Amino acid sequence: MKLGSILVVDDDENDQFICEYTIRKFDPDIRILKALDGAEALDILRTETPDAIILDINMPVMNGFEFLDRYAAEFEEHAPVVAMLTSSHLGKDRERAMQYAFVKSYFEKPLTAQHLTVMAELLGA
Amino acid sequence: MSGRQKAERPWHGLFVATGLWCIAVGVGMMALWLAEPAGFAARHPGVFGLKFNAALADAIVGTALILIHRGYRRLPALMMAPVLLYGVLALSQHLFRIDVGIDTLLHTPFVDIGTSLPGRIAPNTAICFMLIAIAVALRALKGRGGLLQTALGFVTFIIAAAALLGYAIALDFAHDWITFTRMSLQSASCFTLVGATLIFAETREAGYPRMTLAALLGVATYLILLAMTYRELYRFEAAFGLTFSTNGPHGTLSSLVLISGTLYCALVAHLFHSARKARHMAADLADKRARLSAIIDNAGDGIITIDERGTIQSANPACTRIFGYHPGEMIGRNVKMLMPEPYHGEHDGYLARYRATGEARIIGSGREAEGRRKDGSTFPIDLAVARLDLGGGTVAYSGIVRDISERKRYETALIEANAELEEFAYRTSHDLRSPIASSLGLLTISREMLADGETAALEQTLGRMERNFRRLDHLIQNIITLTRNRLMEEDDQPIAVGAVVAEAIEALSHLDDVQRITIENHVTEELTIVAKPSKFHVAIGNMLSNAVKYHDPQEAQPRIDIRADRRAGRVRISVEDNGLGVPPASRHLLFQMFKRLHPNRSFGSGLGLYILRKSAEGLGGTALYEAREKGSRFIIELPEREGQ
Repeated sequence: MKLGSILVVDDDENDQFICEYTIRKFDPDIRILKALDGAEALDILRTETPDAIILDINMPVMNGFEFLDRYAAEFEEHAPVVAMLTSSHLGKDRERAMQYAFVKSYFEKPLTAQHLTVMAELLGA
Repeated sequence: MSGRQKAERPWHGLFVATGLWCIAVGVGMMALWLAEPAGFAARHPGVFGLKFNAALADAIVGTALILIHRGYRRLPALMMAPVLLYGVLALSQHLFRIDVGIDTLLHTPFVDIGTSLPGRIAPNTAICFMLIAIAVALRALKGRGGLLQTALGFVTFIIAAAALLGYAIALDFAHDWITFTRMSLQSASCFTLVGATLIFAETREAGYPRMTLAALLGVATYLILLAMTYRELYRFEAAFGLTFSTNGPHGTLSSLVLISGTLYCALVAHLFHSARKARHMAADLADKRARLSAIIDNAGDGIITIDERGTIQSANPACTRIFGYHPGEMIGRNVKMLMPEPYHGEHDGYLARYRATGEARIIGSGREAEGRRKDGSTFPIDLAVARLDLGGGTVAYSGIVRDISERKRYETALIEANAELEEFAYRTSHDLRSPIASSLGLLTISREMLADGETAALEQTLGRMERNFRRLDHLIQNIITLTRNRLMEEDDQPIAVGAVVAEAIEALSHLDDVQRITIENHVTEELTIVAKPSKFHVAIGNMLSNAVKYHDPQEAQPRIDIRADRRAGRVRISVEDNGLGVPPASRHLLFQMFKRLHPNRSFGSGLGLYILRKSAEGLGGTALYEAREKGSRFIIELPEREGQ
């Protein structure tokens, strides 16, 4: 199934750039929403639910895990595919993230076209 | 005067008492002889058993004893010469059946009582005079007791005491060694006293135990009396043919005396032995007790004993140090006074359950618990409780308490340090990889742009990569600073605070936007502080770069003010800005590692304020944050150590 819209949550401007560029290359029709931290992301999610969320963990103000807690608690409808995208290799971070039902995948930076293919497949599944 | 000398005093008084008695007896008897009371002598012939010469000798001996007590040496020794001579001559008359005229030399008796010849004294009396003359002379010359004196006194005492007892139990042979000549009662009393004086006074110096001497004396006197009784009884039986068998030999009664005497002696010996053993055991026990209490009293751990109901029965001095209560405040009260909740409320239950079921929670094993001091403060303790089964089914418990506050403090510090290190490693590995991952992504994009010939976009992407690497470099520099700060040993030196601030401002010039900001150094030139220079530089530099980084780009006149003052024994250096400030919700995260609190400004390593805190702590101070109406005030407070 085609990805219609993706919310990218990352405080790093370069990572935002890489995501945007990679997504454009993958499918220029995908609408890209951007948030620099968890709080901004929640604000956006209150108005619309994208097909997928790409979520960094280490962010100022509200980090990825805090965001997941709030997103799980405060929202009834969740984006079908939430993928973690982080530079952390640590298994315990991965385990913690995968406990959320809506977290479908865990990728290491940088984002690549293969990651997006996986996400598209997950959306179709 | 030492205690030992004090204890010897009554024994020393024996010299005076004996001396006075001998003089009184001697002078009294001489007066009686001279007065010649014929009627009195007829009514009380026994009084005149003590002859005039003997009375004189008694008086001389008594005087000598008092002189010795007064510290005279030669005079009393010299006085013993005639007494000795008198004794020798008197005895010789008996032994060799001669008459040297000594008996009536000074006085001719008006009456003749209890003697074979007028004025003659008994051989045992003569022997006693000889013995005490030698012993008293020795004592006078030496000024202290000795083995020979004691032995002489011993023999004198036994002879005289046997005579005395002979009077008491009407055994004539005890005082009448030969028929018609007896040792008088008065003489016997004098000799007994003199003998005792020679044996007991100052024997401590000579090293003889008085108890043993007294026991030996008693037994010896008894044995002699026994032997005499046996001899007399045997003679009596033989004379009168007293026997309990029809044709057997006589001697049943006398043998009975001997047997009972032997049994009695054995009993006395046994008693004496037991008493000695008991004394030794008591001394041994006292010694062990003293050792044990010395150990308990000097133990570093608190040692408490309680009874079955929890009442404190003993507490050593360490308990006072640990809990703040004096032993008197603890003994008799329930041990739960030393416990905070929940132990305080549950302890009675523990004891009751243990009594009922034998189910032990801590008895027989050690564990960590909590104690409560007199002032109410609580502290961690290591507690070892043991059950003490005392005699008669009594059960008590001993508890050994160790204050482990310090150990716990170290433990906590260690755990915290370890957790911090772990966090540091985790965050570092993440933050080190982050710019690399990003750069790898950018590299892929650059290749595509190059292939597509998008030069302008490529240029921009390369700029992004450069920024990534700068960020990485910055992070690594920070890590190096932290590590160096942690590991570097440096000595305190006087530092001019104003100059360090000026230097740090100068070093900021490479930062973006710094030209736009008015930075003012208000620190007076004179202010110096004694601190570790490197850590101090790092702290000041971090406060300043932090203020520059988080200035407000929207602010028309961004400014930073640096001030320093002394306050309550501390030097306080503050850096004020009118920048972005710290959102109230994030303030609790300040000074923690890898916390970036500002959205959209991710250029920091997240270590800046952590480095500031670590540096301030390394200097023995603290890092503080105060919110301003607009902007922030970061402060380090350092202990005052005035510059030279």
